[in-house]
Amino acid sequence: MPPFARSATAAPAKPSADRVPAPGGGVYTESMSPARRLLGYLRPYRARYLAGVACLVFATAFSLAIPWTVKRAVDALTAGADRHALGVFALLILALAVLHGLARLGSRFAMIGAGQWVERDVRRDLYASFLRRPPAFYLTHRTGDLMSRATSDVGNVRALAGFGGTMLVATTLAFTGTLAAMWSIDPWLTLCALSPSPLLVLATKRFSHAVDAQSTAVQEQLGVLSAKVQENLTGMPVVRAYTMESREIASFGRLNAEYMARSLRLARTQAGFWPLMGLVAGLGSLIILWLGGRAVVEGRITLGSFVAFNGYLAYLAWPTVALGWTLAIVRRGMTSMERIAEVLDSVSGASTTPDHGSGAAARSALLPPGAIEFRSLTFSYPGREPTLRDVSFTVPSGSVVAVVGPTGSGKSTLGALVCRLYEPPRGTVFVGGVDVRDLPPAALRRSIGYVPQEAFLFSRSLRDNLRLADDGAPDERVRAAALSAGLDDEVEALPGGWDTVVGERGLTLSGGQRQRAALARALLGDPAYLVLDDVFASVDPGKEAEILRSLGAALRGRTTLAITHRLRVAETADRVVVLDAGRVVEEGTHDELVRAGGLYTRLWRTQQIEAELDQA
Amino acid sequence: MTRPEDHDEILGKAYDARLMGRLWAVTRPHKQLVLISLALFPLTAAAELVQPYLIKVAIDHHILAGDWIGLSRVAGLFLLTLVALYALRAGLAYVTQLTGQRVMHDLRQALFAHLQRQDAAFFDRNPVGRLMTRVLNDVEAINELFTSGVVAIVGDVVTLTGVVVILLSLNWKLALVTFALVPLLALGAAYFRLRARESYRAVRLQLARLNAFLQESLQGMTVIQLFAREPQEAAAFAGLNGGLRAAQFRSTVYEASLYAAVEAIGSAAVALLLWYGGGEVLAGALTFGGLVAFIEYTSRFFLPIRDLGAKYTVMQAAMVSSERVFGLLDTPPAITSPPAPSARPSSMARSVAAAPAVEFRDVSFAYPGGDWVLRHCSFAIGEGERVALVGPTGEGKSTIARLMIRAYEVAEGQVLVGGVDVREWELRALRRQVGLVPQEAFLFAGSIRENLVLAGDGAVSAEELARALERAQAARFVTALPQGLDADVRERGVNLSHGQRQLLAIARALIYNPRVLALDEATSSVDPESEALIRAAMMALLAGRASLVIAHRLSTIQNADRILVLHKGRMRESGTHAALLAAGGIYARLYELQFGRETA
Repeated sequence: MPPFARSATAAPAKPSADRVPAPGGGVYTESMSPARRLLGYLRPYRARYLAGVACLVFATAFSLAIPWTVKRAVDALTAGADRHALGVFALLILALAVLHGLARLGSRFAMIGAGQWVERDVRRDLYASFLRRPPAFYLTHRTGDLMSRATSDVGNVRALAGFGGTMLVATTLAFTGTLAAMWSIDPWLTLCALSPSPLLVLATKRFSHAVDAQSTAVQEQLGVLSAKVQENLTGMPVVRAYTMESREIASFGRLNAEYMARSLRLARTQAGFWPLMGLVAGLGSLIILWLGGRAVVEGRITLGSFVAFNGYLAYLAWPTVALGWTLAIVRRGMTSMERIAEVLDSVSGASTTPDHGSGAAARSALLPPGAIEFRSLTFSYPGREPTLRDVSFTVPSGSVVAVVGPTGSGKSTLGALVCRLYEPPRGTVFVGGVDVRDLPPAALRRSIGYVPQEAFLFSRSLRDNLRLADDGAPDERVRAAALSAGLDDEVEALPGGWDTVVGERGLTLSGGQRQRAALARALLGDPAYLVLDDVFASVDPGKEAEILRSLGAALRGRTTLAITHRLRVAETADRVVVLDAGRVVEEGTHDELVRAGGLYTRLWRTQQIEAELDQA
Repeated sequence: MTRPEDHDEILGKAYDARLMGRLWAVTRPHKQLVLISLALFPLTAAAELVQPYLIKVAIDHHILAGDWIGLSRVAGLFLLTLVALYALRAGLAYVTQLTGQRVMHDLRQALFAHLQRQDAAFFDRNPVGRLMTRVLNDVEAINELFTSGVVAIVGDVVTLTGVVVILLSLNWKLALVTFALVPLLALGAAYFRLRARESYRAVRLQLARLNAFLQESLQGMTVIQLFAREPQEAAAFAGLNGGLRAAQFRSTVYEASLYAAVEAIGSAAVALLLWYGGGEVLAGALTFGGLVAFIEYTSRFFLPIRDLGAKYTVMQAAMVSSERVFGLLDTPPAITSPPAPSARPSSMARSVAAAPAVEFRDVSFAYPGGDWVLRHCSFAIGEGERVALVGPTGEGKSTIARLMIRAYEVAEGQVLVGGVDVREWELRALRRQVGLVPQEAFLFAGSIRENLVLAGDGAVSAEELARALERAQAARFVTALPQGLDADVRERGVNLSHGQRQLLAIARALIYNPRVLALDEATSSVDPESEALIRAAMMALLAGRASLVIAHRLSTIQNADRILVLHKGRMRESGTHAALLAAGGIYARLYELQFGRETA
């Protein structure tokens, strides 16, 4: 056993420096409930939340003191105070208003700000768990779905941890504070003024059921409508060919009308519901006006108390209206936390979690040169028939072996297994004499230059795209790698040369250019092993010969597995392995196989005809 | 290099007279609703404004006078205004929604109908997702104009005017003292709103960058893992994530400051009123109830001013959406029937009966921004002639089929159907004459029956349906379904097999019954039994029709009257299977390439 293997097997056991610890210091476990998980995220910011709550307490107290001061002023006024006394009250109100404003600002900065920190942490952990996911995860989770969890769901959690929390605390304080203030003036009047509130609770219950059901109905119909539009637009060639336009317009019209009808049903309910809040608040004012007015007439309370009561009721109006809304934020936030947890949770099991080790350690721990070997490899993707069956062959150290075969024969899977993008069974795939299952993925992958079929480039400069393997690579090395991949002269023609931003949000390179960039990227890492997956698929044949020449020197001394459907590439390899339906059907040198009269001979003939047709 | 997300931030004006004119044009059919809401606004404002006045009356004339009976009368009036206000607000909310929903309904309908008239090149330019956004989301944003934009602004203006009039009539000096705070409020609100809007823009920009990075990471995750770049990517993400948080906090600062400032100014107004107004009460220039009413009115005065900025933003967004919606509606269909179609199916049959069913004369074609797909192509298909089209993979073959129904316009040359240029045909008549069966057997969600009877013209009898199913070899599997013809077909026919979908596509072509058929054979392989069924169904479909089949089946080329060979955009060879094979040209090579295995 080479010395490397021992240290590698030990690596997963020791905690890695990059792994983002779970909030609260623990490691994610499957059993944590969304609420507990959320609390874990809130805990680091408990000082902010405490400060926020303290600010809210002050804000409530200051704002409740304003009607109280107005009451004293009014009482003084009726008692015949002078302008000077009024001025003092006015200044007091002004001071209270300023203090209230400052306290409220403080609470918002503290709590809403904390919610934004929580959002940042949740998103950071989500991204960290995305980085740890094996490719198999991305086969079952669509990008759009993961994006929506990292954006709208994380946003909902922020709303809950920030604004929702603030509102919840503020509402509670407002209710208890107002109730206490009103009670201290006149308990009986307080009860009377609040008597319409149960009505509000009842109405809210009744209406919110109706609103929930009706909005669901609207959303469903919107789904139907958009499915219809999508179907119509994607099926447009059929619509046109069968002159279905008027029929389609009519059937869209029916769905459109139904959507409007459902929206209007919802609008009717809401139109009945929202003004109800105003009505209930108004009933409170009415009771104060009538019963409170009588109390003033009877001399039980002062006119100032009467005015203050009105002020307090007005103060309650906003939290009452916003209560339903606040609860919706809380509900949405919890649901989203659960959805986020689904993606965070499944980070478990060290075997599927590539451990990257600390950067420097991974960099130094490269595999020594050696052979790539497959021993009786049978592999199937989850829930499918085996893609590879009993595959055995060796790529001797420093030599080039080409793998050819029809589409779907399992060629690309071989390459992915060498890099352990998918887990091969134990004892089937060996790199440098070590089972890949015993190698830490990061070290394995850094030792292999793997060029996938789909050459993915990031929206960065071409230079940075090539330097993925080594951020600090000097320009000479970048240029040398590009030269070997046949990319160098074309870079000069790009508008920004090496600084040209490529990828989805940059300049679109041709398929062939992308593939050559990916090849150069792999060569730059100076790997002992190379896995090339159909690197020349999008390169035109003339260019292919040219690259093959320059590449020859670059491949020298590297153990290379070249997957290809271009037999011209196979021709230059030391040996050729022919795959068909997951099995090795032929093996030998190009010349031997062309003469053998098997699958390879047929493929060779096909490509000759294609070349002839191209000339025709 | 500019990033695309930067372009999303170009916001237009909140008010654009031209667009408003267009919007009014689509609202006009519902103008009685608009009139009703315009009538309801002053009433609502009046009911709202009468309440503080009732309180003033109650305090001055009854509470201070110790008149409990009179107070009860005022309370009764107050109750009346409450009920009236409830009814008015509910009515107003419903009427504005009704207006908005009807306008949206009409706009969606217009957009959808407009899309049906567009040519194929339009759909090549506009991805499905973008068009869906126009029909669904942009239209929804326009609704905001009705529910919280223009309409609410009208309401605010009415309320503000009412308050000003009442305050001035109660005590003009005190009113002027209150108004003195308005410039301060307006300035403060405008300042913070402006800063808040800038900060929102920064948030959106940061969010767009973060999302773009995230999406790219997810797509390129394999590469990240292959190059063990997780630490670097996590660090880059942390930078964006932290930047987003900072931007969000900045917007919180401005927004919270806006609300705090407005509240503080409101309280300052109360203090000012209490001080100055109290003096007026002492001096006997203002009643006590008047002072209370003043304080009430002032709070109603400040809220609309504060929220004006928010409405401005809503208007802006709605204008951007209207611009897009009307932009789409203004795109004229590139391919339309001529003003006076020279040919009608009935007259055509007689007048140019001698002409070939289809003829291409020196046709050249290229997709926008692409290379030539067809170059000087000429060929003819006689009445009842079965022609197979072969050639290496590439766009050319399907393009010929599309040009036959004028899905695209030729760049040069002429396509004639029944001796008449397709550009002179009435489009619907042309497509009734020439049927195109695309390669993918696209099925719509609905029943099997609906998928068979696609064209909206004329009833199809049960016998016709049964006969078509029988001839298309589809009768057996359809009758085996529990609901038969009414069995559900899910979106794109996912609940049917490849073979079944193809048989249904053939059956519906039989029902459509065009005189000329352009058929793009499916390449997907099916099991041998289905293959035999499809072969038989094809024979039935092609019988007695002029046809052009883009062939992928050996049986199709063997049974064709003539084979055309398209290579690099040109018609290179023409003849029977045997003759072409013997000639040993392109066809012979293609034949070995595509069918070598079947014959071997």
